[in-house]
Amino acid sequence: MSLVAEAFVSQIAAAEPWPENATLYQQLKGEQILLSDNAGSLAVQAFLQMCNLPIKVVCRANAEYMSPSGKVPFIHVGNQVVSELGPIVQFVKAKGHSLSDGLDEVQKAEMKAYMELVNNMLLTAELYLQWCDEATVGEITHARYGSPYPWPLNHILAYQKQWEVKRKMKAIGWGNKTLDQVLEDVDQCCQALSQRLGTQPYFFNKQPTELDALVFGHLFTILTTQLTNDELCEKVKNYSNLLAFCRRIEQRYFEDRGKGSSSIRSS
Amino acid sequence: MAAPLELSCWGGGWGLPSVHSESLVVMAYAKFSGAPLKVNVIDNTWRGSRGDVPILTTEDNIVSQPAKILNFLRKQKYNADYELSAKQGADTLAYIALIEEKLLPAVLHTFWVESDNYFTVTKPWFASQIPFPLSLILPGRMSKGALNRILLTRGEPPLYHLREVEAQIYRDAKECLNLLSNRLGTSQFFFGDTPSTLDAYVFGFLAPLYKVHFPKVQLQEHLKQLSNLCRFCDDILNSYFRLSLGGISPAGQETVDANLQKLTQLVNKESNLIEKMDDNLRQSPQLPPRKLPTLKLTPAEEESNSLQRLSP
Repeated sequence: MSLVAEAFVSQIAAAEPWPENATLYQQLKGEQILLSDNAGSLAVQAFLQMCNLPIKVVCRANAEYMSPSGKVPFIHVGNQVVSELGPIVQFVKAKGHSLSDGLDEVQKAEMKAYMELVNNMLLTAELYLQWCDEATVGEITHARYGSPYPWPLNHILAYQKQWEVKRKMKAIGWGNKTLDQVLEDVDQCCQALSQRLGTQPYFFNKQPTELDALVFGHLFTILTTQLTNDELCEKVKNYSNLLAFCRRIEQRYFEDRGKGSSSIRSS
Repeated sequence: MAAPLELSCWGGGWGLPSVHSESLVVMAYAKFSGAPLKVNVIDNTWRGSRGDVPILTTEDNIVSQPAKILNFLRKQKYNADYELSAKQGADTLAYIALIEEKLLPAVLHTFWVESDNYFTVTKPWFASQIPFPLSLILPGRMSKGALNRILLTRGEPPLYHLREVEAQIYRDAKECLNLLSNRLGTSQFFFGDTPSTLDAYVFGFLAPLYKVHFPKVQLQEHLKQLSNLCRFCDDILNSYFRLSLGGISPAGQETVDANLQKLTQLVNKESNLIEKMDDNLRQSPQLPPRKLPTLKLTPAEEESNSLQRLSP
């Protein structure tokens, strides 16, 4: 969105309270959604739960095309549509709910830096694994991505998306990386997160912030999704404080709502 | 003198040892960790356009990207992060990711995509470093690569438009600069009093933005308002790159000194020779002065004789 449109939207957003019928759109959970999109969607859900804002999850096969920026998930609140965690956090802040108000400037800088680290390394690694690793692509991704569509559209869309993702990987320099190098990067990222978390309950001690939501979304999805090889999962399992962190957030924010999201299988 | 570690990178200008961000990161890290690095300014390579510069060559291997080069240097025991705690190491990774995601697109845009800047500053400079005919092709390629990267990481599929993205990336970059400034505060380096990897990265990305003179300068103006970041860059330039302020690398300085030495030696030898010849002349058996009455020479002949005596 251009700057003017964004300013306009936040003005309007500030005027109305959070409605009861806010909805979050993502792809079909059982058959279509992929690892990276699921992670994003879970992160947004966790964030909204932490802010105590009610949200209903709706699954649509064409969620990616409905979204204003082409990325899922997106939320439909009142008569505005906002996609991706960053803009959603700002939108929610304009409505007066924020998780990071208690942080000082240095901590806010750190939080933003760690969110970028997760996006830069974990998300890119997930995309790489899904779209550039031949085994996973053949067995899982192609089948899932095109599943709602009839032949030959399912193949065409899957190949188109794969080509796009590969282009992006090449532009940022990940095109020549092997799977082992990618897994090593994931390990480094998890190590950094684990060291930052230490023995605290959340990243910024007592209260969860959007960073916690984002990390939870990614790690939980990695831990509970079955892929052709389990190495990604194993890398995360090496860090016990991250496992405890995911369990803690799941118990506090998801289990009492009855959302049993602990059994996501992708095949 | 054998130089085991050689770095090939783009050259310098405007008071910087190198104008290319990634090369500068590696050079700064080498200075901080004390690695003996011999810098080769490259001028003729296709690798630059594939983003492979800077390149570190040792006897056995060739390492190419900044992250890998820094890892390699660390394994060789040139470690600038020795005194950092685990948490600070994690912070380093996070801030580097922040710089790459938020600041790099805008820096790329300022250097390579913004037409005024590109055609008046960047392209002539790189073209002057690259011999003809590559100078016609390479800068264009690098510019397209930069544009591609910006659009693919920030643009929206399926139609990628630059204008929508421009405002966004500059806003993100300014925010990132503010965050870095907040984090630095009043301390000398990011983690206490000794520089580390993060300082190398921040310096590498900020210094070209700070020093190179551009016609379109919105990001530079913003940076100049953050005085602690400017002070940070100037400090590092003054303390670690003092010899190279004229654009000559330390290795270059040494060869200049050696040449100077050779020249002085030659001049000394010459003057010694001249002295010797002079001495010989003085010590050679002198003919007795002509007695004027005995040999009646005309005054003209006398003069020519005396002239002949004096000339060598």
